[in-house]
Amino acid sequence: MSILAYNGGAMVAMKGENCVAIAADRRFGIQAQTVATNFEKVFEMGPHLFVGLPGLATDTQTVMEKLRFRKNLYELKENRRISPKVFAAMISNMLYEKRFGPFFVEPVVAGLAPDTFEPYICNMDLIGCLNEPSDFVVGGTASAQLYGMCESLWEPNLAPDDLFETISQALINAFDRDAISGWGATVYIVEKDKVTIRNLKTRMD
Amino acid sequence: MFLTRSEYDRGVNTFSPEGRLFQVEYAIEAIKLGSTAIGICTSEGVVLAVEKRITSPLMEPTTIEKIVEVDKHIGCAVSGLMADSRTMIDRARVECQNHWFVYNENITIESCAQGVSNLAIQFGDSDDDGAAMSRPFGVAILFAGIDEKGPQLYHMDPSGTFVQFDAKAIGSGSEGAQQSLQEVYHRSMTLEEATTAALTILKQVMEEKLNSSNVEVMTMTPKDMFHMFTKEQVEEVITKLS
Amino acid sequence: MMQTGIRPYYPDYSTVPVERQINPYADNGGSVVAIAGKDFVVIGADTRLSSGFSIYTRNQNKLFPLSETTVLGCSGCWCDTLTLTRILKSRMQMYHQEHNKNMSTTAAAQMLSTMLYYKRFFPYYISNILVGLDNEGKGCVYSYDPVGHCEKATYRAGGSAGALLQPLLDNQIGQKNLQKPSQEDLTQEKALSTLKDVFISAAERDIYTGDSVLIKIITKDGTKEETFDLRRD
Repeated sequence: MSILAYNGGAMVAMKGENCVAIAADRRFGIQAQTVATNFEKVFEMGPHLFVGLPGLATDTQTVMEKLRFRKNLYELKENRRISPKVFAAMISNMLYEKRFGPFFVEPVVAGLAPDTFEPYICNMDLIGCLNEPSDFVVGGTASAQLYGMCESLWEPNLAPDDLFETISQALINAFDRDAISGWGATVYIVEKDKVTIRNLKTRMD
Repeated sequence: MFLTRSEYDRGVNTFSPEGRLFQVEYAIEAIKLGSTAIGICTSEGVVLAVEKRITSPLMEPTTIEKIVEVDKHIGCAVSGLMADSRTMIDRARVECQNHWFVYNENITIESCAQGVSNLAIQFGDSDDDGAAMSRPFGVAILFAGIDEKGPQLYHMDPSGTFVQFDAKAIGSGSEGAQQSLQEVYHRSMTLEEATTAALTILKQVMEEKLNSSNVEVMTMTPKDMFHMFTKEQVEEVITKLS
Repeated sequence: MMQTGIRPYYPDYSTVPVERQINPYADNGGSVVAIAGKDFVVIGADTRLSSGFSIYTRNQNKLFPLSETTVLGCSGCWCDTLTLTRILKSRMQMYHQEHNKNMSTTAAAQMLSTMLYYKRFFPYYISNILVGLDNEGKGCVYSYDPVGHCEKATYRAGGSAGALLQPLLDNQIGQKNLQKPSQEDLTQEKALSTLKDVFISAAERDIYTGDSVLIKIITKDGTKEETFDLRRD
């Protein structure tokens, strides 16, 4: 089994009309054994910027700390907020530095640009290959299931409420068919002047 | 080598000039020495009744088993060489279980009889499957069962021929019993009437006096499937006989 | 052959037996989706047959009628599919001749399971989905793993895009994770449109699924056939 699937986890981000959403499950397990059901994989990196790090849990946390360090340094040096696009480039660069001994995470970035509030989503593989589609990105052990769900549920220009419903249904139904993801979910809806965080009740098996 | 006429009855796979297989015919004759068994098929179910020959007062009657369960939905009454019948019953049971295993459904009575028939004709020269049996089975069987076509009764003789019957008698008293069955049988018979009729006829053709330990009675109904009468139930029917 | 270091001399040809392996299986892709209703069942399979990055044909039927009321959908190793379905066809005929009746869907389902298990240690590399009407005329779906594990369901997605499609069916047909699940029976129209929708989704992301879908709709009145185009890239 791939080391990327050691702890399990599912992650998805979607674009909407002037908003973005990012959602992840809450399970932390060691292979088939569930250890905790309150494990956050999505981290706030700014008022309109979130990063999800599905993969090996230890690297999730290490990479998160390293990213926060680099982001803070950037913001202090530049004296301005980091944009999602720059932040993604930074992650990509950092991951590629470890090309032959990588961190086992496949990051997902979702946010609004600090000046224009333009929605932005992207994901990358564990060595930082960037993918910036116009609709949605997925990651984690339930990515096949998520592709199937998102491909038929997602539509352009979803309002925040509809986006929440879409991303929630996509995530829950996808991880219900993955043995090592699930056990609750957290959804972030990022709008210009508010961020809504909801914890979803899901089946716990 | 020249075979005299009387020698045609030696080989089990040698036809006589008249086109007869003597050993098979003798086997059919052997059934007529066996104990009588009667089966009647009604729309409500099938009943089987057999006599048990208690040849010694020291014999334990319950160890003679002439009606057996083959599957939940099939029962058999046998007459003739009991040892041979065991082999055939074993095959019938294997056929039933194999059909259930492969198809997850109850085998039809006809297919079960077909399976046993295939065994019954494996006498004669040995083939690829190994050594063959040296002679035909000396057994006649009544198959009573219920499948999607409803209650059914089949009869099979040592030649492996099997035919469906409304009512059939086998064994030593079969000739008289079959005659009587023809007289009493009608399509709208109830199972209770059939049970009484079977025992009445059995009583007529048996040499010993009929009682609850020298007969076996079984009914096969859609509700209870294979049901062997207890001693008390048999007595109850016997008391009702005129 | 070049000599390096202090290695002793070895002849160029091998003097010891060398173990070589071949892979007897191929993955020819393909997806099958089946949805059962009260008095009908629909089954669809894409028509792409491929190997790796090349497409053998865009028009390969993967649905095999076993009887008037039973259809089998296969995806996986195509050569195994061909063999299995030929054996199945002969077994169906033998059953008819031995038992003087047509095999029911439930009997065919069990027989397929045992047939697959009999090759437990050299399995048919196929994802099978068998559909049909049972003895009461109700639609039913049976899905199998390559070694004969059989599960009865009302809907199932299998094959190369099985993982993508199954959660979608859970949601749309199984009414899973919905605030207010519909109480109404599944209609043939809804089943058919869902089936087409999920194939469109699968064709977007799965390179082994595409070209077109062949659909069979089985009711007590017989089997109807329909085709539906998918993206061909």
